[in-house]
Amino acid sequence: MINLLRSEWIKLHTVTMNWVLGIIAVGFPLLVTLLTANFGGDDIDFRTESLVEVLTGTTLVCALLCGVIAAASITSEFGFGTIRPTFAASPKRMRVLLAKGVVAMATVVVLAAAVQLIGWFAGSAIAEGRGADIDLADVPTAVPAMVGAVVLVALMALAGYGLGLMMRSTPVAVSILIVWPLIGEGLIGALLGQIADSDSIPRWMPFQAGFRLAFVGLQDDGPSRVVAGCYFGVVALVLAAIGAWATNRRDA
Amino acid sequence: MITVDNLTKRFGAKTAVDHLGFEVRPGVVTGFLGPNGSGKSTTMRCMLGLDRPETGSTLFDGTPYHRLARPLHEVGALLDAGYVHPGRSGRNHLRWLAASNGIGRARVDEVLEMVGLASVAGARLRSYSLGMRQRLGLAGVLLGDPRTVILDEPANGLDPEGIRWIRDVLAHLAGQGRTVLVSSHQLSEIALIATDLVVIGQGRLIEQSTVADFVERFGERWVRVKGPALAALAAGVQQQGGEVQQIDATTWHVHGVECSTVGEIAAASAVVLHELSPQTGSLEDAFLKATAATQEYRSAELGAPQ
Repeated sequence: MINLLRSEWIKLHTVTMNWVLGIIAVGFPLLVTLLTANFGGDDIDFRTESLVEVLTGTTLVCALLCGVIAAASITSEFGFGTIRPTFAASPKRMRVLLAKGVVAMATVVVLAAAVQLIGWFAGSAIAEGRGADIDLADVPTAVPAMVGAVVLVALMALAGYGLGLMMRSTPVAVSILIVWPLIGEGLIGALLGQIADSDSIPRWMPFQAGFRLAFVGLQDDGPSRVVAGCYFGVVALVLAAIGAWATNRRDA
Repeated sequence: MITVDNLTKRFGAKTAVDHLGFEVRPGVVTGFLGPNGSGKSTTMRCMLGLDRPETGSTLFDGTPYHRLARPLHEVGALLDAGYVHPGRSGRNHLRWLAASNGIGRARVDEVLEMVGLASVAGARLRSYSLGMRQRLGLAGVLLGDPRTVILDEPANGLDPEGIRWIRDVLAHLAGQGRTVLVSSHQLSEIALIATDLVVIGQGRLIEQSTVADFVERFGERWVRVKGPALAALAAGVQQQGGEVQQIDATTWHVHGVECSTVGEIAAASAVVLHELSPQTGSLEDAFLKATAATQEYRSAELGAPQ
């Protein structure tokens, strides 16, 4: 298994597109957070909650991009045909797919954790430098939201990986990964909410529930952070399991 | 030794490989021939477990491919030189392949040197020509120093030097006692390097034999006769059931009669001969004759030039 993990890591980090996506995934939330810490709002009014909200909120972009990295890690194999030498070199397909998923998820967890740590420490230092009072103890949901943001990134990667396994096409998998959470779930959730006359249904759409992992304030009647995380985790796991099962059965 | 037994693969209603079975022995190069669409590549993919066959099995020295612990050390396969990520360098392509089977970086540099790509190992694969990719593919085959080598059209895109090089490599590998199976449309190349043949058509086995036996069985045979005055030979040949074909004023081809019989007829007729030699058709002729009934894609006859 160590050999497969090493092999998959070499594949992941030797493709320029992954570096570009990774740099954007880390750079965008950090840039917005640090700029906000420096310029956002009145110096006195800029509080801990503001910093954490912007940090975890922009991590949603990081999560989507990490989903794309994970999806492309498998779709590019099908697109360029390298899945054949991969399975020829390692015929136990499920082990290969497991190694690929582990490498993708571990990589994006490191990226997301770096975003949270750098964003928090650098952002609070900048904000305090201009007189704002920043203290994690002020906001009890701050740490859960930042940890949740890291978990969200990992689960988005798992969901993207599953979609990639099923679709075998980068444009299709990436389109679904971007369009479904941002537009599809909103439309269908709203429609179902109208039919059932319930405001909470949209919050139970899988990706919307996943996004709640990174929310600082959860005062509505949607699922709690833990429930939402477990729910989205199961959805992502099912996507990956179906994709792996299909890949194991189908011709390479 | 490769043992393919009762392999069947269908794509929807089309049967690509139809209860195919053959053996490939070690120590010689075995050519794997068949017309376009005959199922050669599908067979190779099934042998390696990449395509899932409906029936049948393939054993490599008695072991199914999926049971091989470190397959690159047992079987080196090049199915398509295009199976690379164009954004990766040649060295990194081999590095991930090597790492998957626990092969070190030193071996990667070693095989890059062997195939002549060391100087461009750091270049992205999108800048590689087809011939360079073939060399890279062969480097991947050699990574694990395997006992069995399977190559699908390895000479595609290679220049004459490259073709000669790959011919020498295959002969060298077979000479070391390895099992070598090579598919190719370049029948002249196969005739030069292969000792054995597996010929398939429409997914079914047509013939498995040595190249010599295959040409003997399916190739045309005739006797070339040269002499200053051959006219007296014709009647004797026809009496023996043969036919003569005049090539030029001093050369005939005699069909349907053994060389020794032609000699005896000439002696009996007091015909002076400058040459009397048995001729055998090429592997290409034999292949076309053997697979005539299974050609899926036929070219139209070309009209006479205007």
